[in-house]
Amino acid sequence: MTLRLLPYFFKQALNNISNNRLVHVISLGTTVVSLLIFGTFLLLFVNLSTWIHGWGQAMSMNVYLKDDISESDRAKISAFIQDLPTAKIERFISKQQALRDLKSALGNHAGVLEGLSGNPLPASFEVVFTNLEDQKKDLLGIKQALEKMAGIAEIQYSEEWLHQFEGLISIIRLVGFIIGGLLCIAILFIVTNTIKLTIYSRREEIEILKLVGATDWFVKIPFLLEGMIQGLLSGAFALLMLYLGYSLFSAKKMQLLGFAGFSFTFIPAEYAISIVLISLILGLLGCFIAVGRFFEV
Amino acid sequence: MIQVYRLFKYFGPSIAIRDLNLRVREGEFVFLTGPSGAGKTTLLRLIFGAERPTSGHIIINGVNLSRISRLKLDLLRRKIGFVFQDFKLLSKKTVFENVALALEVTGERPGLIRKKTRQTLRLVGLAEKEKAYPLQLSGGEQQRIAIARALVKDPLILLADEPTGNLDPDLTKDIMILFRSIHIKGTTVVVATHSRELLEDTAQRTVFLHQGKITGEK
Repeated sequence: MTLRLLPYFFKQALNNISNNRLVHVISLGTTVVSLLIFGTFLLLFVNLSTWIHGWGQAMSMNVYLKDDISESDRAKISAFIQDLPTAKIERFISKQQALRDLKSALGNHAGVLEGLSGNPLPASFEVVFTNLEDQKKDLLGIKQALEKMAGIAEIQYSEEWLHQFEGLISIIRLVGFIIGGLLCIAILFIVTNTIKLTIYSRREEIEILKLVGATDWFVKIPFLLEGMIQGLLSGAFALLMLYLGYSLFSAKKMQLLGFAGFSFTFIPAEYAISIVLISLILGLLGCFIAVGRFFEV
Repeated sequence: MIQVYRLFKYFGPSIAIRDLNLRVREGEFVFLTGPSGAGKTTLLRLIFGAERPTSGHIIINGVNLSRISRLKLDLLRRKIGFVFQDFKLLSKKTVFENVALALEVTGERPGLIRKKTRQTLRLVGLAEKEKAYPLQLSGGEQQRIAIARALVKDPLILLADEPTGNLDPDLTKDIMILFRSIHIKGTTVVVATHSRELLEDTAQRTVFLHQGKITGEK
């Protein structure tokens, strides 16, 4: 029976939308704006994560050697680092090279180094890590293992920065959840009230349907379809507008704005599908709330 | 077919039905009559399940209305045709759509809905006006749409609340002829009316109501 009635239900749902065009357009507009805000936040979050992840991938560790290190100890340290699957020795900086680098960095002020009796700078290995996301928990372990080796003076890596990176991502995620949650409540409120208005405009028909023997579900299903259609359209429009907005601020334009080096990407497909699905579910949920109390004829 | 036991219905502090007992046999034609406010409409609405009794029992075709679920009540309503005093037609739907509505809710096949709706519209003399809208028709024709909607589902019981209240004597006669033809086919008919003309030349059972109580029968 239900399958046979599907065309009837769809016709009713579309008639409802058509008969309450203005209410639906306003509701659709506000829902699209809410989803667009959420989508924009998601887009920024995804890109920020990618950028931070990218910086993290280029993270390096400086392994400073003692001045009196033997050739064999230096070779052992070099071999240990090269054996690490995600580490690569970018370069070996000798004491002389370190001093040259410092002089070059100081530029016109290099004269301050002339009073030095000797070269106080240690030789070092500059190690670059790839796939930091997988390795970040092991960096401390690597550091501790290296410190136990003979000939190591000091090891430096951006531990603090790493924690801040994790903290920043967590804060952004939390803010995202809060904003997303608030926007979901707002959308639910909008959809519920829109459907209430369309129910109100059809209250006479609903009363008559009930009096001629319609079951509650027979009356409810067109409204639920109406909510689903509205949710689907809102999600699709929001996604389309988000993509148009993204296209306007494509990578090329970002470069023009001085953000060269950042690649600005669109949200992944699963996030895009999620926006439409969330919108659809909210549409359906809003209808369930709205139709709940209208069947006491 | 319809059994009413010790029925009471209050609306706030005022009483609409008091200790009412009534039995209508299958295939019977009964008039309910009495002055305005006697409780005729309330009794019909209670029998139809549109109102819940304050106390007492109503048994329709063996089913106690106070003990059935909402879903079963919906399904029971499909066996009862109700002609409302104010017609309760949908002005944005055509005559055909208004009548077909009673079958659409049952999930009947579209082909059968079309066939039965046209048959019923022929029966009430509205076959030529199926595409018209209710407000384009006269009061009598609107009344006949309401009757057609009640009849299209072949009800076991037909309840009519002041079905001739807004009609002239000729139309009243036509409507009563229609009810009698439905009754002859085996449908139990209960008509609430305060029209003396309607009752004067009838041999049907007539139940008199006053202030929510049955005061006599003819």
